[in-house]
Amino acid sequence: MSFGSLLFLLASGLTLTFGLMRTVNLAHGAFYALGGYIGLEVIDRTDSWGLGLVVAVVVVAVAGVVVERVLLHRLLGRELPQILLTVGVAWIIGDVILAVWGGRPRTLPRPPGLDGVLRLGGLTFPWFRLGLVVLAVVVFVVLERSLATTLVGARIRAAVDDEETALAVGIDVPLLFAVTFAAGAGLAAFAGIWGGAFTGLRPGTEWDILLLALVVVVVGGLGSMRGAFVAALLVGVLDEFGKWLFPSFALFTLYAPVAVLLALRPRGLFGREERVA
Amino acid sequence: MRGDRRQPDPRLVALAVVVVLAVAAVPFVASTYVVTVALRMVVLSLFALAFNIVFGAADMPSLGHAALFGTGSYVVGLGMVRWDWPFPLVVVAGLTAGALLGIVMGIATLRTQGIYLLLLTLAIGQAVWGLAFQQVRLTGGDNGISRIDRSVLTLGTDGVVGFYWAAVAVVAAAAALLYWFRISIVGTTIEAVGMSPSRLRALGFAVGSARITAFGVSGAFSALAGMLMALGNRFVSPENLAWQLSAEVMLFAILGGASWFAGPVLGVVLVIGTEVVVKDLTDRWPMVLGGLYVLTMLFLPDGVLGALSRRRRDSGGGPDPQPGRDPGPASDVSRGRDSGVATNTGATT
Repeated sequence: MSFGSLLFLLASGLTLTFGLMRTVNLAHGAFYALGGYIGLEVIDRTDSWGLGLVVAVVVVAVAGVVVERVLLHRLLGRELPQILLTVGVAWIIGDVILAVWGGRPRTLPRPPGLDGVLRLGGLTFPWFRLGLVVLAVVVFVVLERSLATTLVGARIRAAVDDEETALAVGIDVPLLFAVTFAAGAGLAAFAGIWGGAFTGLRPGTEWDILLLALVVVVVGGLGSMRGAFVAALLVGVLDEFGKWLFPSFALFTLYAPVAVLLALRPRGLFGREERVA
Repeated sequence: MRGDRRQPDPRLVALAVVVVLAVAAVPFVASTYVVTVALRMVVLSLFALAFNIVFGAADMPSLGHAALFGTGSYVVGLGMVRWDWPFPLVVVAGLTAGALLGIVMGIATLRTQGIYLLLLTLAIGQAVWGLAFQQVRLTGGDNGISRIDRSVLTLGTDGVVGFYWAAVAVVAAAAALLYWFRISIVGTTIEAVGMSPSRLRALGFAVGSARITAFGVSGAFSALAGMLMALGNRFVSPENLAWQLSAEVMLFAILGGASWFAGPVLGVVLVIGTEVVVKDLTDRWPMVLGGLYVLTMLFLPDGVLGALSRRRRDSGGGPDPQPGRDPGPASDVSRGRDSGVATNTGATT
């Protein structure tokens, strides 16, 4: 459950940007790692976990805006070049991280107040893991609700459905793109702070995390927040059972069912059929 | 095609002969180090040409091709080091495995296009990678399989130069076969399917089997390149299967010019050439590689050949570099055409 919750935090940002921009952001894992390392640095220097979280999310969100405005926006509507461009961005961020923080594996501290375990009868639950589950539910509800009920959410949905009409009725779609991309990158950094305390950070984390997030997003259906939530829990459980039942096939039992699902249902579990223009 | 068979482009054939002779002459004029660099370029060129059957011709953006390449590498590693197979059996098994995995990919992706095809091929590639990474007793896991004997394949002399000449001969023959395939009826059908699957389907062509054929042929030749790579390095590891290699081969094709038969080779020379120079100067190669991705997508989406031909056309217009194929103002692959990638943008257009 807790791993699934982390997976949802990872995937939420990715599915948000895909939902609006039809771009699979392959730099998502790099944003995650960058957030984790920035958070670590700030926490080390100021001894304040909260400040680390805020600085990491803000800095990475700003980096996201820069990538969107300066690079991605020039390739608007051209999916494949956008995807490969984000591969390039991921390589660059990954190498910057390696240059600044070196190749030693690091682990972030856990958030204050979430050390220790909760005992219920004979079972013990670490507070940190429970916190992750609660956090994932909160993030899911906030994202789902704000997309469904707020004005910005309505505009985003309008731009997703019909970009030209949205533009014509005065919605600033380019601004929405920048905001959404920033939110996606910020969510990645947010997940990085939590995931860095869960599984640690090391060179290559950016790719490992990206692939996990992609699995969740495509299983759930590209762009579907609810799908990402269900898929995250499903993949979390599948991964645990796979590791337990067939330890030497764990990666295979993660990817092979995904491939089969995609071959049969290219839109994933909750992806909607897209209109053919 | 005016009902005739397409004929080989004489200028391309002449160019190919000159290039092969020049490449074969490298050991006479350069050090062993340069020969190993050239060997890598030659082998990756074959991989990029094979990849471009699926990508440039059939317009399917596969991100799982490293699995086909690496399958060839692992058949060499397993067959020669673990199981002591005779070399001809290894060759046959490698080609067959590559073709079969390619066919599986082709069948699995029948219902997908654009991003979905990309993600599905990525998932298949990762499943194969996961097997190689975790079946430690068989594959050595992360440590790979070393001590592959490359002396089984030499031409003219022993050692790295002998293997180099053999590899050049194999790649030249394979490239010629691939070119012959591209201009054959089947290859032409595949190209037409890439341009407009719905139109071809309406005309009664078997679109699905054309796509599967493209993947199968591409798989066999990708595996051949992977076999040469394993022999050349005398080593195979999960890196031969990593999806980053799948992305890189796509970069080769786009940077050179995916709409041209020889475009991917140019891309290989540019990227690997840059890599060699940069790695000599600094250890920040990943950053430069990332920059190459970004700059290529922003400024050369149709590749170097695309930019050159547009320039030529603007200044009075020379002939098309490849008759029978209009390169157009932008590569079809990067724009998404017909119901291909465009289908998936449906909701935003």
